[in-house]
Amino acid sequence: MEHSVGYILGVLVGAAAGLGVVALLFKLKVMDLTFDERQERARGQAYKYGFWTMTACLFLYGFSDQIFGRWCDVLTGVMLCVAVALMVFASVCIVKDAYLSLKEKPRTIMTLLTVITLLNLSIGAMNLKSDRVVKDGVLTYGAVNGICGVMMLTILVVYLVNYLLAKREAGE
Amino acid sequence: MKNLRLKAARASLDMSQQQLADAVGVSRQTINAIEKGDYNPTIRLCLAICKTLNKTLDELFWEE
Repeated sequence: MEHSVGYILGVLVGAAAGLGVVALLFKLKVMDLTFDERQERARGQAYKYGFWTMTACLFLYGFSDQIFGRWCDVLTGVMLCVAVALMVFASVCIVKDAYLSLKEKPRTIMTLLTVITLLNLSIGAMNLKSDRVVKDGVLTYGAVNGICGVMMLTILVVYLVNYLLAKREAGE
Repeated sequence: MKNLRLKAARASLDMSQQQLADAVGVSRQTINAIEKGDYNPTIRLCLAICKTLNKTLDELFWEE
């Protein structure tokens, strides 16, 4: 599919703005990467699970494309694999109490995650409503917001369940 | 194996897991994991804990 220069510039500016926001959050210490030794170790294990999940997903995606023909855009397929791998990485980190760094405040990070989840799900729903998710039986890049929304919602649910279980365990 | 000696030493100084964690620069969950025996700390962290609780390595971490 051909895109205009304006479209490509828009994508680049959007990506740059996204990176700028993340950099600002790091500068304001809302996001931080200071982990202790147990967390580093747990995150290493989680990274391993995420890596192998992504490898398996990419193989599955490649095979499905060969067998069933083109069912989704290449970039959308890659995003789908990355989303599944990130879901696995984040879930393992959460279960091992290594998702948030030493300086991050759980409430702030979860609020941020909730806002981004709602934003992505809303854009995903809008894309679905205006028939931009599937074109000629092929999943298009318009599905990516929905995919990211579902991924973040899953991470939020895992965090919440883990938090409630830990709270119940502490109370016993 | 649970590290009850660490828990006792911390409690004798009236310190919470969070206070000990802050003092040695780790998360509360890490202190909890050490006390429960779910995590084997490095010698560096063991030393930091010992210094904070005024105990020796043997007193807190040597298995009899």
